[in-house]
Order: sequence, then structure tokens, then C-alpha cells
Amino acid sequence: MITRIKPTTLATVTMLLLGTISLIAAISYDSLILAFIGLGLAFWGAILLYIRPEEYTRKALLEAALSPSLTTLNQMIQELGYKGDTTYLPPKYFKNPETTKLYISKYKNGTLPTPEQTQLYEDQHITRTTQGMLLTPPGIQLAELLEKSLGKSFTRTDLKNLQQNLPKLFMENLEIAENLELQAENDTTQNKEDHQASPAQTKNTTIHAKITRPIYGTTLKEAEEPSQTAAPIGCPVCSAIAIAITKATGKPVRITETKSSEDINTVEASYEIIEE
Amino acid sequence: MDFPLSFWDISLWLAVTAIILLITSELISPYYGKTNLLVNKKRLRDVALTVATLFLITVAIKVATIIISQ
Repeated sequence: MITRIKPTTLATVTMLLLGTISLIAAISYDSLILAFIGLGLAFWGAILLYIRPEEYTRKALLEAALSPSLTTLNQMIQELGYKGDTTYLPPKYFKNPETTKLYISKYKNGTLPTPEQTQLYEDQHITRTTQGMLLTPPGIQLAELLEKSLGKSFTRTDLKNLQQNLPKLFMENLEIAENLELQAENDTTQNKEDHQASPAQTKNTTIHAKITRPIYGTTLKEAEEPSQTAAPIGCPVCSAIAIAITKATGKPVRITETKSSEDINTVEASYEIIEE
Repeated sequence: MDFPLSFWDISLWLAVTAIILLITSELISPYYGKTNLLVNKKRLRDVALTVATLFLITVAIKVATIIISQ
């Protein structure tokens, strides 16, 4: 089997090799210039080899592969006639403390299922009942990737922590977007203990996310297309943010609105944390 | 058959390399929106910081040698 060597790999290996030869020659001939050249070539060869990016896929290919899945999901929900709210359920609804699922109620203003009901269908990817539909959210893998980059589960953070860490994960670690702003409406960005300490605070909190130049641009636009459901499921990026919020707060979360600019440079999504 | 570069030469080389790497790392940081360059930015930043630290260590050794020799 013939293995094709990439030009960048060839260049870096050549630099390393020349650098080593130059260093050996510098020692043999006691030459300062050869030593500097050798050191530079060997060092930069090693650096270029070390900072090579991980395997990447072209953006167009990624979007082309993802779009049909999301469109199929939206069409399937429409065909099945689920017209209610789309809610991201936190892990407390399931036996596994890391599970998050998407619940679409059959009719508008439908009630959320109880943890006992959802635990029955926890291991199934899609579950239909007379009251609603339970399915794996489109951003679940992305959320897991974000957790891996963060080094801990979102369940071990709170909303304030999430507001600080999520933009860093989006911009620096995974480079999903050029910028991410998370703003909570009202001063309800307290941690879980504070929420438990003040049960009188039952007002729903709204989180506004502004994503600048995200990947999956086309998919985001397609996810916005009008559907019969009262609230959108969201694209993988918006869905991953919803999962992060629901895990961090431990409360059900609903994507109330997604809006993107014409050139898909900015995407705004609103999330409602439902107080039970 | 000795290595031709002295400790001071290595220190100078580390300083120049550290400056180049630190500036490059800062310029291609995702916070400036330069996300099109396909290099592992985190690794580049780590290398830049390591080289800068190595340079500072050489300076510290030099300073310590001067103080001890007095």
C-alpha cells in the first residue's frame, strides 16, 4: 500500500534533517554560523511538526452532511403532528446523571412529563407517547465535546460559571465561533444553592446567546425554518448551548427564539429556564 | 569537537525565538478573529511560553552567576 506523504510533513521532516546535519557539521568544523542555522532549522522543524492541526474537514462538507439529518428530524416531527413546546430536560429526569433529552409535547401548552415517565424510555433514542415525544437532542455530541474540553461535566457548574467558561470553549478550545456572549435577563444568575435558598424566586429566567460567525452557518439558517412546533429544536450549536444550560441549572430549558442575520454572521438565540 | 555556541549565545537565540513565537501566538489568537490559520493554537502558545520561560531561566542563571562570583 502506497502512503501519500503530505507536503507539510515532508517540509518539516526536511527541516529537521537539515538542521541535524547542520548541527553535526557545526560541531565538526566548530562553526558558529552553522550552529545557529542548525539550531533554527531543527527547532522550527520540530515546532511545525508539533503545532500541526488535528484532522479537519471542509466546512461545506460538514454542513452538507449535517443539513439532511436536521431537515429529516424537523420533517419527521411535523409529519407526526407534534405541535407543542420543545423542552430540554435536565439529568434529574433520568437515572443516568449525564443524560439530557429533548421533549416535544403533543399539543401546545402541554405539561412536562414526570421523571418516572421519562426514566422508562431513557435508553431509547426516540420515544413516542400519547402526551409527547422524547428524543436525543441534535447537539448532544457537541455538548459532550464541550464538556471534554472543559474537563468536567456541566452538571458540576452553575449558570455564572457557564457564562464565564462557555465563550472560552467556543472561541479558544473548539473554535466553533469567533465570539459568544451569554446574557441572563434579570439578576437571576445565582448558583443552585442560592436558588434552593430562595424558593420565592419562581420567575422564569431568560438567557440570550449571541454567536458571532459560527460554524454550521447554513444549518443554523435551515433550523430556523418555520415548523409546527411552538419552540424550535435548534441547530447543533444552539442545541448544545441549551444542553449546557439545562445541565448547569438542573432545570428544563426551552429555546424560545433563534434569529440569524442575512449573511449568517451573527446568530441570536433565547433560552428560557423553566421554574418548576 | 565542542559545541560552538556558548550559554550566552543560546540565551540570545532563545530570546529572539520567544519574541517571534509570542507575537505569532498573540496575532493568531481566536480572540482577534483569525480563525482561518490551520495550526494548533493552544500548542503554539504553550511552546511560546515554554521558550520564554527557558530564556528567563538562562537570565536568572546568568544573574545568579554574577552575584555569586562577586
